[in-house]
Amino acid sequence: MPSNVTNPNGLQRLIAQLAPILVVCAIVFALPVLLNNDFLLNKVARYLVLGILTISLGLSWGFGGILNLGQAMSFGLGSYAMAMALKLKTVPVHTGASGLPDFMVWNNVQHLPWFWEPFRSLSFAIAAGLIVPALVAAALGWFMFRGRVTGVYVSIITLATMVVINLVIIDQQSFTGGFNGITDLAQLELFGVAFDAYGRATYYLVAGCVLLSLLVAFAFTKSKAGLIVQAIRDHESRVRYFGYDVALYQIFVFALSAAIAGLAGMLYTVVMEFASPTFLGVQLSLSVVVWCAVGGRQSLVGAFLGAVLVAGMQGALSESAAFLETWTLVMGALFVLVVLFLPKGLAGLAQVVWRWIVQRRQASTRGVAQGVGQTEGST
Amino acid sequence: MSSHLDLRDVSVSFNGFKALNALNMSVRKGELRCLIGPNGAGKTTALDIICGKVKPSAGTVSFDGTALQDLEEYEIARAGVGRKFQVPSVFRELSVSENLDVARARRTSVLGNLRWNIGNSGREDIERLAELVGLTEQLDRPAAYLSHGQTQWLEIGMLVAQDAELILMDEPTAGMTAQETRKTAELFARLKGKHTLIVVEHDMGFVKAIGDIISVMHMGQMLAEGTAAEVEAHPEVRRAYLGSGGISHA
Repeated sequence: MPSNVTNPNGLQRLIAQLAPILVVCAIVFALPVLLNNDFLLNKVARYLVLGILTISLGLSWGFGGILNLGQAMSFGLGSYAMAMALKLKTVPVHTGASGLPDFMVWNNVQHLPWFWEPFRSLSFAIAAGLIVPALVAAALGWFMFRGRVTGVYVSIITLATMVVINLVIIDQQSFTGGFNGITDLAQLELFGVAFDAYGRATYYLVAGCVLLSLLVAFAFTKSKAGLIVQAIRDHESRVRYFGYDVALYQIFVFALSAAIAGLAGMLYTVVMEFASPTFLGVQLSLSVVVWCAVGGRQSLVGAFLGAVLVAGMQGALSESAAFLETWTLVMGALFVLVVLFLPKGLAGLAQVVWRWIVQRRQASTRGVAQGVGQTEGST
Repeated sequence: MSSHLDLRDVSVSFNGFKALNALNMSVRKGELRCLIGPNGAGKTTALDIICGKVKPSAGTVSFDGTALQDLEEYEIARAGVGRKFQVPSVFRELSVSENLDVARARRTSVLGNLRWNIGNSGREDIERLAELVGLTEQLDRPAAYLSHGQTQWLEIGMLVAQDAELILMDEPTAGMTAQETRKTAELFARLKGKHTLIVVEHDMGFVKAIGDIISVMHMGQMLAEGTAAEVEAHPEVRRAYLGSGGISHA
């Protein structure tokens, strides 16, 4: 990310780049004070989770140049990991005989399948929600990037893989709940705190994870490895001649991105109180790409805000009487406009405006110093 | 003195066209070797073979006792081979200093590179490199904004940053002004001795200014080797360049 800060001091520059993240997170944390409505707070939490998902795509697409059209696959895997654990924690009334999840009883399953067993442990489920998406991504990445698959083929392969996993989940109804997904879950309980989907605790959990994801992604992009990943985005083959194993770097950023998406998926289950095959559906996966492009894929905060704003707008428009029929059209037009006029998204626009303000201010202070007098633009 | 880089009977063909036909070449440590020849002689292909971009269909490439022909590009780079491409290849969206930082490949593993660089170690190094290639003013600008000559310089700077033992340069002065070309010659003279260089070049003035020994290629084979005067007097070389008025006007 080229920075417009001319100060050569690296630490100061770092703080300047960190500032947008901290400001946005401060607003996110302050929101419950202004918003005294549990229903609305739950909705905002939902958008924040989608924001985390979009940060993860920004990392692989904007920084790594890997357009993963199946980003929702990692999201869905995380979501199911959490749902499986919470399902096993539901009160016996809701489960069938011998504590089997209700949908298994309906499907004549006698014993809990072996791969459900470890999900009795919540810590296992949380670890799985991060590690399983990362491992799946790493395995897929190993085949793609070792084979030097690039560009649109990566997008097709990731999209197809997601569709396959989606179909498997729908097909294996007796183990996954099929079309209905996994519903009727217990509340998440961590360290003695119960996370009610409509409670503040859940909101702050999500907000904390927003901060965590932004910081982890930021730390990665500022490391040497993050720089090399961006170099690979610009000119993949050139990087090889400096002695870097390009495929390993691509696999790493791909897996890191998947783990963050898995975290978002787990939170989504907590906020929505169910897991569904639509969480790893094509529609959501492509929406994430749109959010990321609108917000600015080469800016982590941009990608996050793009998701929150656009998903929020989608929600508001689809619920308003005036746009009930036409809201998809409005969203489509917005996307076309952004792609045409703001190739770097809203983050790019913000950068241009910020630079303009700084220049104006510098010009006006220079004017004062030269005794030209106060101009209208001076502060 | 034993040779540092050794190409033995290297052949490669593209769709039946023999780009290299049993090429033999050896370069001593610290030498600056110029590689010239008419268009299509296989000069760039010879560099491609050494750095692993193209795999030979026959023959061996050994560097410091290591057989390079079966290694991946990144492994060859780790063995100490750096390459500058004919079309300047830099990372356009990264700033000049970031480009130089990527090229400083001290550590190559992913996990080793996860650490942060807040203390700015290496920043001095990068500033020194930028000064060497005259890009101090451009340090924080994206490489996409550089002129063609500056981009050439940046890539040369990146090769110095990489600190490879063997540096392969493909037409480093293409698109440079006469003054820039002179500066490049000075830089190469400084690199000579510490690094081994192979330079493919068309500009005979430049070649005479920098080269000790000149290798002339023709039709994928080594035609002649020697000092500028020897090569110019060589009858076979004159024949290969027939019609273009001899080597000096190539």
